Amino acid sequence: FKKSKTKKKDWIKLIYGSDLTPAQIIRGDDPQTSSTNEDDEDDIFTIKRLDVDGPSGETVDRTKEVLNEEELKQWEDEELLDSIRGLFITGSSGQGDA
Amino acid sequence: MSGTTSVLHFSGHQYLRHRLVLSILSGKPVRIDKIRSDDKNPGLRDYEVSLLRLLERITNGTIIEISVTGTAILLKPGIIVGGSITHECPVSRSIGYFLEPIIMLAPFSKKPLNLTLRGITSDEQDLSVDLIRTVTLPHLQLFGLSDELELRIKKRGSPPLGGGEIQFLCPVVKQVKTLNFVEPGRIKRIRGIAHAVRVSPQFSNRMIEASRSVLNRYIPDIYLYSDVYKGEDSGKSPGYALSLLAESTTGAIHCSEAVSKPSAAPEDIALLASRALLSEIKKGGCVDEKHQTLVLLMMVLGSEDVGRCRLGTPTERTIQFLRDVRDCFGTSFKIVPADSESSNELLFSCYGTGYVNANRSLA
Repeated sequence: FKKSKTKKKDWIKLIYGSDLTPAQIIRGDDPQTSSTNEDDEDDIFTIKRLDVDGPSGETVDRTKEVLNEEELKQWEDEELLDSIRGLFITGSSGQGDA
Repeated sequence: MSGTTSVLHFSGHQYLRHRLVLSILSGKPVRIDKIRSDDKNPGLRDYEVSLLRLLERITNGTIIEISVTGTAILLKPGIIVGGSITHECPVSRSIGYFLEPIIMLAPFSKKPLNLTLRGITSDEQDLSVDLIRTVTLPHLQLFGLSDELELRIKKRGSPPLGGGEIQFLCPVVKQVKTLNFVEPGRIKRIRGIAHAVRVSPQFSNRMIEASRSVLNRYIPDIYLYSDVYKGEDSGKSPGYALSLLAESTTGAIHCSEAVSKPSAAPEDIALLASRALLSEIKKGGCVDEKHQTLVLLMMVLGSEDVGRCRLGTPTERTIQFLRDVRDCFGTSFKIVPADSESSNELLFSCYGTGYVNANRSLA
């Protein structure tokens, strides 16, 4: 159950070599723990877990991510706004490459 | 199930579009079952059926079987013919829903595609026609498609009633170029389109002003265009939206978009779009999140050489797409951190399948 936060994800292994759902991979679930949990089929009845994000209560096949108004509020923060200055040509991030 | 390993098999209603695209491109039949089989309203939705019809029309010889309950489909792909086609999109999804998969197929048709779609031109779920025109099509240019590639927005149509119309022109290619795009560069300009239909035209100016209040601090080269459609051309419902894109010195494009919703002022919509653009820029990479699958698909179809592209963290869609691509074309990507620093950027590389547009040579 320990998650090593500092260690980077091994994307090749996660995508091609695990049974994790894409959502689990993004969340950073552990391949071992979650796969054993889901393979437990001793119970006759299993509770279906549904990822709900659409208005009709189902996951919608959509291209644009849902805009999270609350999360985007973080951009009111001056420090964060300044932190990406280096990604623009006008920002000074060490070397001035053309 | 016995012996016929060439039939691709998937479950669930999700990722339907790219699975159908992969089937048609690879020529492998695809069977998709358990389509909302546990839903109280099981089976395909009207827009999914509409998409199947559209795919049937741009191809020749495609056989689509839908089970009685609508929870399973079998598609045996024919050849992509293209040509001149008009399609009415149901108002349950926007034109972008239909156009996105078509863009993946159109370059490989027999004749250049001239497609007219009618329906909703911008909504909050799929790429608006503005983003497709200004961001998606330039991504195809990376692979050698540029001449006569065009999207014309003839009429706008906001939800819920739509009434918009677009024309998409796509040339055919023999083969797509290998991509080598590893330098994200730095943002040199920001462009945007604000449109407002059947509401005060002042709304688009208000969006532009609010967006500038966030973006002006970064670069002076910002041009936000106020796009006005009047009368017949403005569709059947009121609405407005702001689409933004940031272009880097190496041609990397990041984009964002927000559309009007009840009880939100134009300023709020503009702030959402502007902040979403900043989030997108922060994620890095040479290709925007929303265009990961398109670029990765074209890399798989590229000539028999190693294609490379630097991307931000893959989205859920991208992860499933990568798995489905491997099932379909047998191609897997090498994915390594782009540099040793703490950034989240990844370097995707694969060996192109050398896909040749066989439909074209028949002409």
